[in-house]
Amino acid sequence: MSAPASHRHEDRGAALILAIGFVVMIGAISAGLMGLVTSSVNNRGSLEAIRDRQYAADGAIEEAVTQVRQVKASALGACALDTGTATSTLDAYAIRVDWQNACGVVRTFDGLVVAQRNVIFAACLDTGTACTDSSTIIRASVNFEQGAAGAVTKTYVQSWSVNQ
Amino acid sequence: MTLVAKGAAVINRTCHRSHRRTSLSTRKRQRGLDVGETLIEIVLTVVIIGISVTALLSGLATAGSAGNNQRISVQTDDVMRNYAEVTKAAARGCVVGGSYVVSFGAPKGFTVVSSPADTKCPDITSTKLVTLKVTGPTGIAKQMQIRLRTP
Repeated sequence: MSAPASHRHEDRGAALILAIGFVVMIGAISAGLMGLVTSSVNNRGSLEAIRDRQYAADGAIEEAVTQVRQVKASALGACALDTGTATSTLDAYAIRVDWQNACGVVRTFDGLVVAQRNVIFAACLDTGTACTDSSTIIRASVNFEQGAAGAVTKTYVQSWSVNQ
Repeated sequence: MTLVAKGAAVINRTCHRSHRRTSLSTRKRQRGLDVGETLIEIVLTVVIIGISVTALLSGLATAGSAGNNQRISVQTDDVMRNYAEVTKAAARGCVVGGSYVVSFGAPKGFTVVSSPADTKCPDITSTKLVTLKVTGPTGIAKQMQIRLRTP
């Protein structure tokens, strides 16, 4: 008589406990799913921000190239050591571009040695300080073809590397 | 010996009957109690499991829809990048006073628009700011700005 009664007592609420366990399991699955979705959305947001930043840096360098093009180097001193800074805002990103002359010389077919006006541009987020190797988003090297009077006739992009 | 054995068997049968009667009545009582408890428990369990399954299904549906949106969004981003690169490549052939031609076939369901719509090459003293807008099949739209320059 007492054994079945105690059995009955132990079994009471077993189904409810199972149901609660089920709820907890479903909750865990749902939390995992939500975590997955949130993570995907955040990753996409980060990638979009990187894309916008890269294109902002790209646009800022294009703008800087246009500005440097207007700096007329004298016919004799086309490759004087020169540096400069330009800023530009695109897609809400303020970008700073530091540029410096990195001229070289080439020998022409008739034996003359002529200077090549090359400029290296480094674009980074504008924090008020110069772009460093670690902060540079895009680094580009551009050649400026000049006429005898010093005016730039054409530009050639020699390298264009996206660092981050 | 035989008489004694018969008598023992009779006593044993009587005891067994009486025990069976007792256990039957206990079982009946037990069943009576179990019926009520099981019903309440089952009703509660069904309600709880029903709510849980509904929550799980809606969570799965949300995750599926979010995944679909994510896919379209990434595709839109891809179309945007391609469109931007094609536009920049077209402008690389610019000459002063000329115009550039952007030949870009947007994938099915996507539309691309650039503003300003004209394709005049920029002057050498300035860059041209172009806003690109891509709209995906579900209406997800993205826009981005690029600068074009005459080399």
